[in-house]
Formats: sequence, structure tokens, C-alpha cells
Amino acid sequence: MKQTLVTAAALSVLLLSGCGQTAPTLGASGGKNNFTDATEITGDTVTVNENGTEGGLGNSSADGFTSVYFAFGDYSISGAMQRKISADASRASQVAGKIKVEGNCDEFGTDEYNYALGLKRAKAVKDALGAEGVDTSKIVIVSYGESNPVCSSPTDSCYARNRRVDLRLAR
Amino acid sequence: MRYLLILLFSMHLFAIDASMKIEKDVEHRSRIALVDGSAVSNAKLFKILLSDFKISGHFLVDSSVYKSDFASGFIVPELKSKEYIVKFRFTQQNGVKLEIRLLKASDASQLFEKSYAIQNVHKMPFLVHKAVYDINRILKYADIGWINRYVLFSRYTTPKHSEILLSDYTFTYQKVIIRGGLNLFPKWADSAQKSFYYTSYAGMTPTLNKINIYTGSKRTIASSEGMIVCSDVSSDGSKILLTMAPGGQPDIYEMSLFTGSKKRVTTFNGVDVSGKYLGNGGQIVFVSNRLGYANIFKKSIGSAAVQQAVFHGRNNNAVDAYGSQIVYASRESSNAFGGNRFNLYLSSLVGGSTRPLTTTGSNQFPRFSTDGSVILYIKQSGNSSSIGYINLGSSQSLLFPIGGRKIQSIDW
Repeated sequence: MKQTLVTAAALSVLLLSGCGQTAPTLGASGGKNNFTDATEITGDTVTVNENGTEGGLGNSSADGFTSVYFAFGDYSISGAMQRKISADASRASQVAGKIKVEGNCDEFGTDEYNYALGLKRAKAVKDALGAEGVDTSKIVIVSYGESNPVCSSPTDSCYARNRRVDLRLAR
Repeated sequence: MRYLLILLFSMHLFAIDASMKIEKDVEHRSRIALVDGSAVSNAKLFKILLSDFKISGHFLVDSSVYKSDFASGFIVPELKSKEYIVKFRFTQQNGVKLEIRLLKASDASQLFEKSYAIQNVHKMPFLVHKAVYDINRILKYADIGWINRYVLFSRYTTPKHSEILLSDYTFTYQKVIIRGGLNLFPKWADSAQKSFYYTSYAGMTPTLNKINIYTGSKRTIASSEGMIVCSDVSSDGSKILLTMAPGGQPDIYEMSLFTGSKKRVTTFNGVDVSGKYLGNGGQIVFVSNRLGYANIFKKSIGSAAVQQAVFHGRNNNAVDAYGSQIVYASRESSNAFGGNRFNLYLSSLVGGSTRPLTTTGSNQFPRFSTDGSVILYIKQSGNSSSIGYINLGSSQSLLFPIGGRKIQSIDW
């Protein structure tokens, strides 16, 4: 009898001591990187005005050159475009100074990939001009991605017109 | 006697269960109601309050408008079934001020009160974000500091022209930081959001600049013929991943900001772009067309081997990473022209589980929050855009129309 009481008392003590613990608190750590007060919402930010883009305000070929067009997602020169490359090569041989070759895309896909696609198009035109005897050291290439559309309507023909490389004299 | 002891012992056990506290976890959301004590109600502010509580994933907020005197402790009977009441008072006089009191609904006992003020009235959304952030913290939920942060984005204006802006996450507050010219791909340079990198087309050669948003001071970091983009910044801010194209070949490079040295990371002669750091920064994921179509790949910076990271979809051309998780955009219709469906997927590179985050529409530009808990994205339908947020833990999602011109790139 006494033994049972002692055992029961001992067990009760153990159980009661368990009751004294508080539940652990969550979420006090402030997040992995602890950015909580990083934004200085009271600080005044600037507004900076930058100059316009270097030369070439037109958004199509100029200076006697003709634009080269590409299929969706593609950067190879099609057979039909070879004629334009030849015309551009012949124009290039008539001009002194540098030639700017600008790659463009339609509006699909996202940021960097599109700019890279535009650049591959510009490079394809540069290489094709080189193959026709143009001195490629006078060619500068740049990608304008989808920043330079010639039209903005959501139509097949407009998208096709934007998938292009423009050429002009570098200024 | 023995049986009496056994009975007492059993009763003890039940008493222990009844007194245990329930721990807060992401499954438990507190039911709250908002009570407006302002002299003049502000619908825009109320909407931001609702959005903040909802997207935190920690609250079930009653969207009804209740009004009552701010200072009183009286709670209408119909609100007694909530867990908490948030009383607020908004005043606009020499700036804007938001006062809040957090009360327990059952007995109106006050748990927290604070006042937030700012001179610039346009920054009102940040008062709300700070208030909700504090309430969330007081109630011991996991940190939601991301709602206080600026979103940084660029948008096109006219051909070959763009502007770079800051906004709050709801796009209610917007401020132009760089206007004029063609400036693209803004990327925060530091976790404190004091500076950002961006690509400038001011000269013949695309140039990567860094600008301080408080002083306007600017410096050139690197330049490259063809294109240059800063796609990611290491967690300690000392290295950046660049997409550069010397010789017209777009590849990923890693640049040390201390030494200025650049290391070429990819060598494929097609398109390799959008490098993002994984884990501790020794590995990256990136977008490449090395299989003939845009897909996501993984690579250690130090070694040449490249592994495919995504095995579904035929055009996955955007990716972001957090730890060992990636989120990517997959084009799921094959119309060459118009009306394509892009959906977002969340994938673990450890264990390989993948789940869709969206199911309809054109969803692109996926970006993890700095703590990896929320995904930001842009949803395009027709001519209009919305910015979307998905809380990965609670699956709560929100959309805010952003109208106007097309977003070029975004970071937060």
C-alpha cells in the first residue's frame, strides 16, 4: 500500500514537472536573412535623367541598307533572306566607317533569352556579310531585344516584322 | 485504494493535455477583423491592409468594413468569435499617419499598439506594410519582412526608350529612378536595397552600371559588345553573374567585384543566359538552347559538366533559384503567333519533385522573395499586365493590375 502511494507520488511529480514547460515560440528568428528593417522608407530616392540612345533613332534600317527577317525563335539566315544579305554586302562595300547591325525580336518570351536571340540574329547577319567579303572589323553588333518594335498590333504580320536585324551607319 | 489512485493518475493525464499550448504553425491562421476608427475612411489603405494580411499566409481576414471609435475597448458581439481585432486610424495632415491597436477579440485586452508616420503621402503603403509586419511579428508568426521591401522594375516607354522604377509590392507607390534613354535589366546590388545594377545603352557598347538610389552616384562595372546583363548577385554581394557577348556569343560569366576579374562559366556556342546562384554559390542554374530549345540546366562554376535540370516542357526560358529550389516559366502552347500559355513550375533539385504554380494565362518573370517564401510573377492577358504573388507555404495568391506599359524586367 505504502509502496503504491510512493510510486504514484513519484509519477505525479514527474508529470507535474512536465506541465511547467511553456510551448516553444516560433517565428522569433526574423527570417533567414533578417531583412526586416532594411528598407529605408523615410529616405528620399533620386530621379536621374539619362541621355537618349547613341545615334540611330530610327527603328528600321537606314543609310541604304535593308533589314533581314527571321522565323519565330530562329536565328539562321533563310534562303529567301540571302538576297537581302547580298544587297547589304554590296552597300557595305560602298561605305567607309563602321556599320551598326542591330538584332531585334518579337514580344514573346522573357527578358534575357530574347535579347540573346536578337544578338544571335545580329551575329548571323555579321557572319553572312563576312562570307560575302565584307570586312567584319567594321561591323558592330548589338541586341535591342523587344525594345525597338516597328509596330505594336497583336497580329502575325506585326510579329514577323519585328523579328529582324536592322543595319545603319554607326554614329 | 489502488483503483482510486489509478483514477487520480488518469485524471492527471487529461489535465495535462488540456493545459498544453497549441504551437503556431503555418497551418493555423488567425481569424482577424479590421475596425476603422478614422474620421475619413481610405479605401485604398483598407485594400492594402487586406492584401498584406492575406498574402502573409498567416491570417484569415474578414473583408467587411467595421467602424468604431479607435480609442474605445468595445467590441461588437459579432466580432467576438474572431481571435484578434485590429483597430486602425488613418490621418492625413502634414504627411500621413497610421495608428494601430491589436486587441484580443474575446476580452478586448490590448496586445500591441503603435503609430507609423511619414511626410511623403505617396509612401502610405509602406505604413501599412510596416504595421502588418509588426502585428505578424507580435503574434510570433514567421517573418514576412519581404512586404516592406522595394520592387525594382524597368518598362518600355517608346522604341529604344525605357524607365526604371521602384514600387511597393502592391505597385500602389511608384517612383521613377532613371528616365530617358534605354536602361534595362535592373538588379538589386545589396540586400539593404541601396544600389542596383542595370544595363545602359547610352553608348555604342552596352554597359553595366551601378547606381545608388539615394545619392544618384553611378559607376561603370563592365561593358560588352552586343549585350550585357547582371542576372544574379552572390549572397555576400562580392560576385555577380553576367550574361555577356564578347564576339557576339552570349555566355554566362562570373565577375569578382573586388578584383574585377571575369571567369567564363558556359562555353556552348548557342544561347546561354540567366545564370542564377544555387545554394552556397558554387553552382548555378541557367537557360540554354543546347538541346535545340530553351531549357534549364545546372552547372558547377568550377567544372565543365552541365546537367539538365528540367525534364518537362519544350520551351522553358526563364528561371530563378532559392537554395536548391527553382521556379521556371514554361511555354505550354505552340502557337507561333499570339495567345501562348506560359505557366510557372516550382521544382526541387534535391529529390526532384515539381509542382505547377499557375495553370492558365501567360505567366512569366518568376522571382523568389529574399526569404524564398513567396514567388512574384507577371501575368499578361491581352494588353494588360498584373503582378502576382504566390505564398508557397499557404498557397495564398494575389494579383494587382499594373496597367500601362510592358514590363521589361523586375527584381525584388
